[in-house]
Amino acid sequence: MKLGLVVDIDSCVGCHGCATACKQWNTSGTIGPLSDKDPYGRDPNGAWLNRIRTYEVDDSPNSKTVHMPMSCMHCEDAACVTVCPTGASYKRTEDGIVLVDQDKCMGCNLCSWACPYGARELDPQAGTMKKCTLCIDRIYDEKLPEAERQPACVLTCPTKSRTFGDFDDPNSEVSKLVRERAGKQLMPELGYNPVNTYLPPRNKPVVEMYQPTSLKDTVKGWVNKVIAR
Amino acid sequence: MHPAFSVLVFTVMSGAGYGLTTLMVLGHLSGLSQLQDSTVLLSGGVLSFLLISVGLLSSTLHLANPKNAWRSFSRFKTSWLSREAVFAVLYYPFLLIYLAGIWMNGAEIGGVFLLAGIIAAVLAMVTLFCTSMIYASLKTIRQWNSSLTPVNYIALGLMSGSLLLATVQAVVSGDLSSALQQLALGLLVLGAVVKVIYLFWIGKPAGSTINTATGFTQASVRLLDQGHSSNGFLNNEFGYTVAANKLVRLRLLMLVMAFVVPFLLLLVSSSVLTVVAALLVVAGLLVERWLFFAEARHVVRLFHGDQTV
Amino acid sequence: MSNLKSNLTLLESNYLNVDQSAVSTRNDNSGLPVFEDRDKQETKYTTCYMCACRCGIKVTVEDNKVRFIQGNPNHPVNKGVLCAKGNSGIMKQYSPAKLSSPLLRKPGTERGASEFEEISWEQALDILEKRLAHIRATDPKQLAYFTGRDQMQAFTGMWASQFGTINWAAHGGFCSVNMAAGGLYTMGHAFWEFGDPDWENTKYFMMWGVAEDHASNPIKLGLKRLKERGAKFVAINPVRTGYQAIADEWVAIRPGTDGILALSMAHVLLKNQLIDDEFLIRYTNSAQLVVNTPGEMGDGLFYRGPEKDGKPGQPQVWDLVKETFVDANLPDITPALFGSALEGVDLRTPEGKPLRTAMDIMVEKYMDDQYSPEVAAKECGVAAEDIERLALEMAHVAFKESITIDVEWTDWAGRKQDKFIGRPVSMHAMRGISAHSNGFQTCRAIHLLQVLLGTVDCPGGHLAKPPFPKHIPPGIKPAKEMAPNTPLKSPPLGFPTCPEDLVIDAEGKPLRIDKAYSWDAPISCHGLMHMVISNAVKGDPYKIDTLMLFMANMAWNSSMNTAQTLEMLCSKEDDGEYKIPFIVCSDAFNSEMVAYSDLVLPDTTYLERYDTISMLDRPISEPHAACDSVRIPVIKPDRDVVSWQEVMVEMAGRLGFPAFTDEEGGRKYDDYKDFIINFEKEPGIGFLAGYRGKDGDKSLRGEPNPRQWEAYEENEGFFEFELGMNQRYMRHANRDYLELAKEAGWIGSTEQIVIELYSEKLQTFRLAGQGLYDGPMPTEEHHKERLVEYFDPLPIYYMPLEEQRIDREEYPYHAVNQRPMFMYHSWDSQNAWLRQIMSQNYLYMNRVAAERDGIEDMSWVWVESHNGKIRAQVKLMEGTNEQTVWTWNAIGKRAGAWGLSEDANEATDGFLMNHLISELLPQKGDKIDRVTNSDPITGQAAWYDLRVKITPAAPGETGSWPHFGPLKPQPNAKPSPDMLSYTSHKNVNLLRTLSDILTRGEK
Ligand SMILES: Nc1nc2c(c(=O)[nH]1)N[C@H]1C(S)=C(S)[C@@H](COP(=O)(O)OP(=O)(O)OC[C@H]3O[C@@H](n4cnc5c(=O)[nH]c(N)nc54)[C@H](O)[C@@H]3O)O[C@H]1N2
Ligand SMILES: Nc1nc2c(c(=O)[nH]1)N[C@H]1C(S)=C(S)[C@@H](COP(=O)(O)OP(=O)(O)OC[C@H]3O[C@@H](n4cnc5c(=O)[nH]c(N)nc54)[C@H](O)[C@@H]3O)O[C@H]1N2
Ligand code: SF4
Ligand code: SF4
Ligand code: SF4
Ligand code: SF4
Ligand code: SF4
Ligand SMILES: [Mo]
Repeated sequence: MKLGLVVDIDSCVGCHGCATACKQWNTSGTIGPLSDKDPYGRDPNGAWLNRIRTYEVDDSPNSKTVHMPMSCMHCEDAACVTVCPTGASYKRTEDGIVLVDQDKCMGCNLCSWACPYGARELDPQAGTMKKCTLCIDRIYDEKLPEAERQPACVLTCPTKSRTFGDFDDPNSEVSKLVRERAGKQLMPELGYNPVNTYLPPRNKPVVEMYQPTSLKDTVKGWVNKVIAR
Repeated sequence: MHPAFSVLVFTVMSGAGYGLTTLMVLGHLSGLSQLQDSTVLLSGGVLSFLLISVGLLSSTLHLANPKNAWRSFSRFKTSWLSREAVFAVLYYPFLLIYLAGIWMNGAEIGGVFLLAGIIAAVLAMVTLFCTSMIYASLKTIRQWNSSLTPVNYIALGLMSGSLLLATVQAVVSGDLSSALQQLALGLLVLGAVVKVIYLFWIGKPAGSTINTATGFTQASVRLLDQGHSSNGFLNNEFGYTVAANKLVRLRLLMLVMAFVVPFLLLLVSSSVLTVVAALLVVAGLLVERWLFFAEARHVVRLFHGDQTV
Repeated sequence: MSNLKSNLTLLESNYLNVDQSAVSTRNDNSGLPVFEDRDKQETKYTTCYMCACRCGIKVTVEDNKVRFIQGNPNHPVNKGVLCAKGNSGIMKQYSPAKLSSPLLRKPGTERGASEFEEISWEQALDILEKRLAHIRATDPKQLAYFTGRDQMQAFTGMWASQFGTINWAAHGGFCSVNMAAGGLYTMGHAFWEFGDPDWENTKYFMMWGVAEDHASNPIKLGLKRLKERGAKFVAINPVRTGYQAIADEWVAIRPGTDGILALSMAHVLLKNQLIDDEFLIRYTNSAQLVVNTPGEMGDGLFYRGPEKDGKPGQPQVWDLVKETFVDANLPDITPALFGSALEGVDLRTPEGKPLRTAMDIMVEKYMDDQYSPEVAAKECGVAAEDIERLALEMAHVAFKESITIDVEWTDWAGRKQDKFIGRPVSMHAMRGISAHSNGFQTCRAIHLLQVLLGTVDCPGGHLAKPPFPKHIPPGIKPAKEMAPNTPLKSPPLGFPTCPEDLVIDAEGKPLRIDKAYSWDAPISCHGLMHMVISNAVKGDPYKIDTLMLFMANMAWNSSMNTAQTLEMLCSKEDDGEYKIPFIVCSDAFNSEMVAYSDLVLPDTTYLERYDTISMLDRPISEPHAACDSVRIPVIKPDRDVVSWQEVMVEMAGRLGFPAFTDEEGGRKYDDYKDFIINFEKEPGIGFLAGYRGKDGDKSLRGEPNPRQWEAYEENEGFFEFELGMNQRYMRHANRDYLELAKEAGWIGSTEQIVIELYSEKLQTFRLAGQGLYDGPMPTEEHHKERLVEYFDPLPIYYMPLEEQRIDREEYPYHAVNQRPMFMYHSWDSQNAWLRQIMSQNYLYMNRVAAERDGIEDMSWVWVESHNGKIRAQVKLMEGTNEQTVWTWNAIGKRAGAWGLSEDANEATDGFLMNHLISELLPQKGDKIDRVTNSDPITGQAAWYDLRVKITPAAPGETGSWPHFGPLKPQPNAKPSPDMLSYTSHKNVNLLRTLSDILTRGEK
């Protein structure tokens, strides 16, 4: 299996719902707690596994605003794993999920240096590296209702811009989306082969204009249709 | 990249230590006359030992969770950092055996002790190479991701080592050996050349841009919001920026301190000035290492609004 | 808080440091450990209250700590999704700013010094009871009771009527009454919470001035449906973020000019004769005949037939077949839409007064060149060809791509219809329209567009949400008379239809403290909360004794002119008595308002209380279903707090309100739950419409059910009553629906709800302004002028009032706000997670405009209005109209409030635009100086009329300005931790085996 996410940039409104859902689930999840430094003070700064970035493409007036939620891409060639000296970082053979064993991490940051996507953040309290787990503590949990065995961020997205699934299965929802919507990898040139894929903004629908008929200038030109009330 | 002082100290100190070991053993074996003196050899050996140990200790300071540091030996298979750790530790016994030999039998050692010396010299270089590969292997930082990085580390390690060797020799035997002087002068030139090439090389733009990062390659892309109003881990780790004019000044300072002045001081061939030169080199390399980090631009910066790295 | 503490202590041993074998592996073959002990966990359903959207949530709790808050997949509002706020409820629950006991201002200390002593609830309630009992027995209007972002206005309003004061209102007056009134005086439903686009069927969606709105999640779900179905989404907004970012077309309008844009599109439609004649004739009053005698009494009113058996004369239309006048509202008549197009008929009343159909007037008015795209373009900044194209695109979709739903339904006259015809163009509009002083008429202009295209409550159009639509306007009149110890005869707020309904005395002076329903703002259906403090302090129209605030941060982000408001709150009479002698506030957190209160009653959090989102109020209905919901405690409070609901019931009992006492004068209800179950507005109708009847098997109407709360609990906290397919559209004229609505008590009669494009009601006020009305008429010149100018019976555009009174060259920029999707007003800066997303707001500016003015990115600037100046940091962007600057609303905070440190970014660098916005119109030394900065018709606060100038700050001038002394934490406040690591249980780490570590290679 090659598990990962598809994110639809065409419909993401940048609401941060997926980011806080992630924070909420995972702070009590297997990778948690996700600590926050100075939570009520100056420059609050905590460990998050999913961040939303907003860009403006092109110059005004014909520019466009795009939102880019970014979490671990669960890369196929994950240098974050190979550089890890302790073995805390690893990529699961079963499903390709990249994880950090919190008991083994020594907090050297090297994996975060090796990650091009800013997907790893050091926990200010525990001093260990935190990252997206693809909600491994949800997706396999048979105690959860079938429909809820999904990542927290996917379940919560109000614009349904996030889809979770197996990229190895050509018939999976994610594979279909990538095909039909010409999904893109970010920074492919670095050769990490990120699994997570982004669906670019779609072409605008074209709506015809009603073909102007006889232009009327005054109320005089109008005719009463006989219409029963 | 944020230059963590502990890492600067680590790479400079251990680099010099390994360089010193290697050159000393080579000199010793090649029968260089001034290096047939056990006091010189022992002092040199002890100095490398101290430099490397201080370096390694300080390197653990930047670990956020040091209690797991011992685990860093476990991923030898893929991790340069792990390999560095392994070799760094392996190096010690051989150095100690070598030094023990000299301690007992004076400069004329043979057999096991000699072999140990050779292995220590090799391991020193291997370790230094591993250290450099930690950086050179990162595709995310184009200023590092190059064979110039190991070349730099090894050249500068040997360079600083050679000055320390000259110093030890000069201090112990009162006057500086011309051979070691020439060696040091030669390595200073080599080091300078290598460094200058590096500086030119990182100067030319290349690699990923904010366009490839975001996937919008047709038009300009500007960051509107990074998603958090205060700096986070990524900003602190990768966001480090130095003003261009400050950079130029620091580069000059670095070249003068680490290469030019030591070179001139050495020409005088006075023991005292040799010591000064050695200290200058170490200080200069600290600046060099600081720049090595400060000038390295991680691709994550693209997601935070930088147009290029 | 103690929870928070224990979480912090949990840190030492965060992980179970045991190897796989010790963690019981599960019986599945995943090889994964059991991550959490589900047997120890409990799942409860309630309603989110991180904002007013009221999504259903499923809360997992373990030993009284929240593990996870998720959307309820079965809930009609959010269908399982949650927004950023809803997902951060945990951090609200554990906020160190939570109030933990009643507080009394220390004797001898000043308001704003936040010096409080804790008192017991007994003491607190006694103090309040004494004060209120005296007021009620002497002069009830001395109590002004105003509420903010609450969702229990039916209850608080009823409480006020029972108390006997007309000085009650909720936040609607400074929020979006323009949208509510604009809709209710035109279509019987509205954009503002009373209607939704038909997301499933619409093919063309136009969104006017919306950043987030109350329907936060439904709108997001809806926009995705549009994308999936390939519908076109046009966003009209000076700023392009959030929703606008995913629009197919962004129309960067200049603020305050939507009226001219909408009317210009109407111009285009009329010029091309692209109107839905059938819809206009059957469902609107546009064929009705209007008397055309300018300068005479009765001008502009409908020509009515003779009174019939006590019923007032009906408006008349000209029947094309019978060739005579007939009652306009009869079925099967054939009205002439264009009187002036009749051959050889000269329409006159028997007395010879000339007549025109409302449509004649509209066509004449809007075909005029002042509404041509060319002229409009100059005003609103939208290119003429774009205006024309947008109008013609909508016409194409409405008339060439119309849809039909083949369902048989019965119309208002009992005639069977075999299908619903859908014109799949829909719109939504909110505060970008309403927060301007021309918002009411602009909102009507947008409704005019919808009506001309026949897209009201039809498939693919703009659908009403039960209990709407209502007759136009709803039949409640605002109360006027008060008497000691007597309830009001009608609710404090209602819907005036003519000057007689105004709440003024014989001299025409306002009777309400906020001057609602006075000549300043005759149709202010939601009151003017933003004027209360200012008026009370000035003693204009009179002084009050007690101001009681619930859930309203009037000492900060919810007041206009905040800096002066703070002074007003502290201003005293010569005898040293405060000008507002007693201020009571109910808050759950240590807000800025708390510091300025004399008595503070700490509320529970939304996870700790019982609450109703009632059908009598603004329920959670969806277009296809009548729905309401409840809150049920999921966490036990760890503080000495009582929900405001309970306090209200308790006070009502203590003060002996008739509705709350039995024959013997004893308490009728033991508590809030009891009250909700057993109170009946009319037989069978109570606060909750679901699970009524003794056995809970009756819906909408039925006798009280003693197990009603349990029933809601068993049904995941909500009640959903699906309408039949035949009841889902054209409800203004759908008997199948109207009969149900009457039975449910939503409307008074099953008569057709006739859409009022032409508002005779507005015309009566205009006549009063012209001195042509036999009834109350204004005496002040400026009142007359405003009535004549703005009370046009047809939608008009006029320049926002602030703009009219300032030098537009001196203040070249419009300044507006946007709701951040991840923050709710002042509620969330205390939220450790949400404030990490944004703890400083910037002043956003168009890059090109800024470069022209020499304003640099990230530089600090002075922003100055006619009312004051602030310092803010600029961020340049592309997606902003060149004449507009904007910022996120309510990010700036007073130092020390909200459990934040004094150097928190919100206080040092964040800023509030409110200081720049005056509650009065710009001062010119005329009578208008004392008139509210609001819509002249509805009294809606005109937040976005603001105009500013921007100048670079001097070098070294950094940080936001102004600053006010830091507030203190509430007494007994637990210190805010400097490290937080919340977890509801020991996290179970997933271990990697040593063998894998040692043996694995590159892959
Ligand atoms: N997350 C979140 N949700 C909220 C709230 C919150 O604080 N946070 N507040 C709730 C409340 S109380 C309310 S009233 C609603 C308000 O919800 P919205 O109606 O979304 O109110 P604003 O955020 O003020 O959005 C006003 C929008 O209109 C634009 N605008 C300003 N002037 C004009 C104009 O003249 N013409 C046009 N076409 N657009 C204009 C602004 O750029 C902005 O995008 O949101 C509710 N929902
Ligand atoms: N500049 C500018 N100002 C604006 C606006 C704007 O667009 N621009 N928008 C205006 C609009 S539309 C509105 S509706 C107002 C909103 O303003 P308000 O209605 O005042 O809403 P808030 O300020 O968010 O919250 C008011 C108080 O409710 C308290 N509170 C939160 N939860 C609870 C609870 O459970 N119980 C109790 N008792 N109290 C609680 C909070 O602590 C806070 O002190 O702001 C207005 N102010
Ligand atoms: S929740 Fe969905 S819409 Fe919101 S930011 Fe995440 S992906 Fe975008
Ligand atoms: S995104 Fe970063 S952390 Fe995730 S797998 Fe790729 S490299 Fe590793
Ligand atoms: S920080 Fe932890 S996970 Fe990352 S490389 Fe270092 S030890 Fe491995
Ligand atoms: S999959 Fe889970 S861990 Fe990853 S971003 Fe989504 S919620 Fe966070
Ligand atoms: S929109 Fe968000 S905050 Fe508002 S009720 Fe829904 S989930 Fe809660
Ligand atoms: Mo509002």
